[in-house]
Amino acid sequence: MIRISMVDDHRLFLSGVKAELEGSVDVVSASNDIDEAIDAIREHRPDVVLVDVHMPGGGGLAVIENVSETNPDIKFLALSVSDAAEDVIAMIRAGARGYVTKSIAPEELVEAIERVHAGDAVFSPRLAGFVLDAFADVVPAEVDPEMDLLTPREREVLRQIARGYSYKQVARRLSISVKTVETHVSNVLRKLQLSNRHELARWASNRRIV
Amino acid sequence: MNTTASSFRLSDYGIVRSYDDRVVAGLAAGIGRRLGVETVFIRAAFAVLSFVWGLGIVLYLAGWAATLDSVSDNDVESRDPITDTQRLGLAMAFLSVLLAFRAIGIWPGDAIVFPAMFVIFGLAFLFDRRAIDSRSALLSLVETPEKPARSRTVVGVLLVIVGLGIFGGNAAPQFGSIFIAVAATGAGLTVLFGPWIWSLAQDLGVERTERIRQEERAEVAAHLHDSVLQTLALIQRSEDPKKMVTLARAQERELRRWLFDSSPVPGSDRLSTAIQAVADRIEAEFDIPVEVIGVGDTPFDEVTTPLVAAAGEALMNAAKHSGAGKITVYHEVTEDAIEVFVTDQGKGFDLDTVDGDRHGVSDSIVARMRRHGGSATIVSEPGEGTEVALSIRRNGT
Repeated sequence: MIRISMVDDHRLFLSGVKAELEGSVDVVSASNDIDEAIDAIREHRPDVVLVDVHMPGGGGLAVIENVSETNPDIKFLALSVSDAAEDVIAMIRAGARGYVTKSIAPEELVEAIERVHAGDAVFSPRLAGFVLDAFADVVPAEVDPEMDLLTPREREVLRQIARGYSYKQVARRLSISVKTVETHVSNVLRKLQLSNRHELARWASNRRIV
Repeated sequence: MNTTASSFRLSDYGIVRSYDDRVVAGLAAGIGRRLGVETVFIRAAFAVLSFVWGLGIVLYLAGWAATLDSVSDNDVESRDPITDTQRLGLAMAFLSVLLAFRAIGIWPGDAIVFPAMFVIFGLAFLFDRRAIDSRSALLSLVETPEKPARSRTVVGVLLVIVGLGIFGGNAAPQFGSIFIAVAATGAGLTVLFGPWIWSLAQDLGVERTERIRQEERAEVAAHLHDSVLQTLALIQRSEDPKKMVTLARAQERELRRWLFDSSPVPGSDRLSTAIQAVADRIEAEFDIPVEVIGVGDTPFDEVTTPLVAAAGEALMNAAKHSGAGKITVYHEVTEDAIEVFVTDQGKGFDLDTVDGDRHGVSDSIVARMRRHGGSATIVSEPGEGTEVALSIRRNGT
């Protein structure tokens, strides 16, 4: 069973999600404070950390950055009420392998955790929309096109995800394997994390909640 | 800070600058509290000394330097006010200081310092808070006032007139008594009405900020009452969990928009806001979550209006018939086309054998798009959900 840690400053939400996940995954720690969470994660070394975005004392970013320094193999899935572009993009660029909103159904959350654990990326429709939007404008000449452009296929995969299709459905609609879809999405995630486009940050901060 | 060199501190003598009652640094208020004299007279003393080759300014700066690290707000209790005899003593002491400077030659001239002294202290009497607090010096003079305020006003006016008189007599003897009369009248009117107008203006300013604050609070309260509180009440009364979720979602979105979005300017509507509005309506009407994802944006104009209308029809169709738990609307503006996809994961239907109502709606969507130079494709299979793809070319770009 996948071992997960949870970090969320809302106790009610923490216990609610924990109860929903019991049986599907092994919740080894649940903290509602950033420092406590970092210690707990280092001690328990979970496979996946479910981390809230907005918390006092630096938020989910602080958790990801601190833990990644000592335990680069631990994977993060961001879970938040906010679907503001700057939050989503910031968490992904800090190293989260996916971003889902708190309204997600329990079974979908379990699926997302499994996907992150397997090394794949989890793109919600909204995140896919953000990425398409952020990479949509014309790229200036001096940046690395390898890193700063989406291939037509990646773009097509993201558009399908943004339209609400699951990876499996996307695979069938595009007549490719699920594994290929996962590869495309992981590549997009890597580009999102490594791209040094200044516009990405500016785009995110200019954009308000949709 | 090093304590050896700058060890002289006025705070050791009970003088602490006042943060609340300050014009420059609050030093005058601090001294006034220590001596038990109204701050305005200390200020007047500094002002008069400033006429002696800037002595007042130098003294003030020195005093400021000696109280750099001792500032307090109003909670420092001031000494009990001194008696009138003590007050007279202090005035004499001040006068003798002035005369001493005159004797040793640090003196710009009788014609400057003495009139200044009269005028400044006259104004000090008139501006003293206790006089102004009783609404106005003028009223207290005309309507049977309490005695201290009245005598204070009289003393103030007399001092000012004498000061201006000496000044006028010295500076412009050729104008003589006419000048004095005009100046005295003008000065008298100024000192009489000045404090009143000044305090009135201050009252107005305070009143205005208070009113603005109250209006803002009222607006926030009104909005929360109309929206969040109403929804919370509805949720408490609701038995149906699905309905609760829909209510909570709709309220959440509305609150987010109110908090973070600047209200759209009329006439500058965007495609994204128009589609979101349609989605909101369907969500409220049919109790089904509608997620709207957008890439790029464009004005909501005659080109995009039929697109939004068709999307609304597709949404309603999906909400009524699909049985899905959620509908996704994806719209994308590319260089040469605007596309909208309405997708549900519901039960779907067979396009060939479908019953009249559903087919009719589908037909009308296709016909509407075609009429406006666009296209609509409906893909559906029983058990596989439905996708309505709407597309329209962007002309001119």
